[in-house]
Amino acid sequence: MKNFSFNLIISFIAAIFVCLIVLPMLALFTTTSFVELVSQFRSPMILSAVLISLETSLTVVFLALCLGIPVAYLLAMKNFKGKEIIDTLVDLPISMPPLVAGLALLILLGGNSTFGRLLSNHGISLIFSKKGIIAAQLFVSIPFLIKSTRDAFESINKDIINASSTLGASEFYTFKTILLPMAKNGIYTGMIMTWSRALGEFGATSMVAGCIPFKTETMTVAIYQNAMSGELTASIAIAILLLIFSFTLLLVFKSRVRVKAG
Amino acid sequence: MGIILKGISKSYDGQAVLKNLNLKINQGEFHVLLGPSGNGKTTALSVMAGLVNPDSGSVFIGGGEVTSLSPDKRNIGFVFQDHALFPHLQVFDNIAYGLRVRGIKEKKIKKIVAHYLELVRLQDMYNKYPFQLSGGQKQRIAIARALAFKPDALLMDEPLSHLDALECERIRDELKRIQAATRVTTCYVTHDHSEASALADRISVLHKGRIEQIERPEEIFYHPKTDFVAKFVGADNILEARLVEINGNTTIFSLNSLGLTDQLKIKARTYPVFARNTKHRLCLHPEKIVVSHTPKGKNNFLARIIDIVPQGAVFKIIGEIVGLSGLKLRAVVPKTAFKINSNTEKIWFSFPPDALHPLCGRSCRAAIPQRACNNINLFK
Repeated sequence: MKNFSFNLIISFIAAIFVCLIVLPMLALFTTTSFVELVSQFRSPMILSAVLISLETSLTVVFLALCLGIPVAYLLAMKNFKGKEIIDTLVDLPISMPPLVAGLALLILLGGNSTFGRLLSNHGISLIFSKKGIIAAQLFVSIPFLIKSTRDAFESINKDIINASSTLGASEFYTFKTILLPMAKNGIYTGMIMTWSRALGEFGATSMVAGCIPFKTETMTVAIYQNAMSGELTASIAIAILLLIFSFTLLLVFKSRVRVKAG
Repeated sequence: MGIILKGISKSYDGQAVLKNLNLKINQGEFHVLLGPSGNGKTTALSVMAGLVNPDSGSVFIGGGEVTSLSPDKRNIGFVFQDHALFPHLQVFDNIAYGLRVRGIKEKKIKKIVAHYLELVRLQDMYNKYPFQLSGGQKQRIAIARALAFKPDALLMDEPLSHLDALECERIRDELKRIQAATRVTTCYVTHDHSEASALADRISVLHKGRIEQIERPEEIFYHPKTDFVAKFVGADNILEARLVEINGNTTIFSLNSLGLTDQLKIKARTYPVFARNTKHRLCLHPEKIVVSHTPKGKNNFLARIIDIVPQGAVFKIIGEIVGLSGLKLRAVVPKTAFKINSNTEKIWFSFPPDALHPLCGRSCRAAIPQRACNNINLFK
């Protein structure tokens, strides 16, 4: 009887959770008719927002891989002074409000800062450009890749790394042939999380790149802009597209990981 | 050639793990580091491999000093306790790993891998992944991987400890055969003295970061040098005795020094270190005690059985000598050789004078090598 009550309570709580996720999504799908949605998908403004979002977020994933994997390796494999500080810095963008991150980037990259002027002198302008979007998205999303990859490196049995070393492999050879293949699933997870976070980024992006249609307007920015100007159907269409992207990607990733584990 | 450790010391958080360790392993020798857990065996092996840097001392492998070299520059094969095969690589690629690192051509690699797969008798397993192999097969692949690039030394850290008894015995025999075939200098770590005796050309017994004794297995087992070695190898009857009389080949001891109220005399073979009125610690192997219902030797003690512990095919019988409370002896007898009626039964513990050895190792009997213990033959 006690087990029955316990299971009933657990099931009830799980049902609340499912409602919490499903109901808002259902609301999105039921507010507008299918025909209206399809016509919105053909709108040049929405297509532009989708393309900008995909271009910037995929670039962010690539950059995060290039920058994040070495940092993750350093944190997982090496002991050095200041490791705790770097570790905390990696976590900081996750806990920092996106608007604060955006403001900080705006000040750093703007024409009034030394760094901003330095970039400007070399013909690089990040503010109100796609590069600015990439900078903002990278800032807020790279910690996910670093943390996931670091965990994957740390979970590898040290004896396996030592075995590679005693077999004559250099650190780089071990990294290339043992660590990277064995940490593959952790890296994939990090990539998905980074991509999802970059795709959904709004606060920092709008601060750094603004909301210029056909130039810096990403999907999330377009949702906000359309909703504020009363174009709710356009907002819903973009939101549904974002949901479809996220859901498909997660599904593909999970099935891939399951196949590998099996 | 071989492996030499010179004055190796290592501490962790102020806790000394190795204390001025000196060890010479000859070229082609199968050497076993034996000792209980936490006494520095694995640290010593890791120092040889370069996985741990010593605080002081030098390491020589294959004739050259390697103390400052990283593991990948030492040309050593290492077999880990949990095999440490690369899980994402097939057996072939695991064995080929060390060869590819050395830039050997694929055609030659194929030949070498095939040779070592044959050596460990797993020719059909080349395309399997480690998770498809049994524990014993994994260890054999790990051995093949460690040998494939012809290392100057093979280091093994308790490679059989995760295997069941049957598999363990099988791999042990394989290992001995493979080492004999390759003649690679081998240093093998274990806490199991029967494993050590089955494999080793020589054994080093490690205790608290120091080597207590280095000898051939039979010497370690039948002529332990210290209390620790004696107890660790199972010779846990240690009698403190005062020498009363030397009578040619036989020496008579009194056990009064145990604080016993009654006189108890025992006869032992005469060793060069024996001198009148000196005290000695004598070791008596449990296997050498004959347990019977009637006295059967030159040294006979009537004992009250305290405990009988079944250990596979033998009983370990712990008895207290009647009239001499405090003196306990342990005997090991085949289950078929003696019938135990009850735990309270009194029985005779008998042993010949040859069964007693002073705790001083080979040095104290160097003058009379022809008197070596009969049981040495057991290890041949």
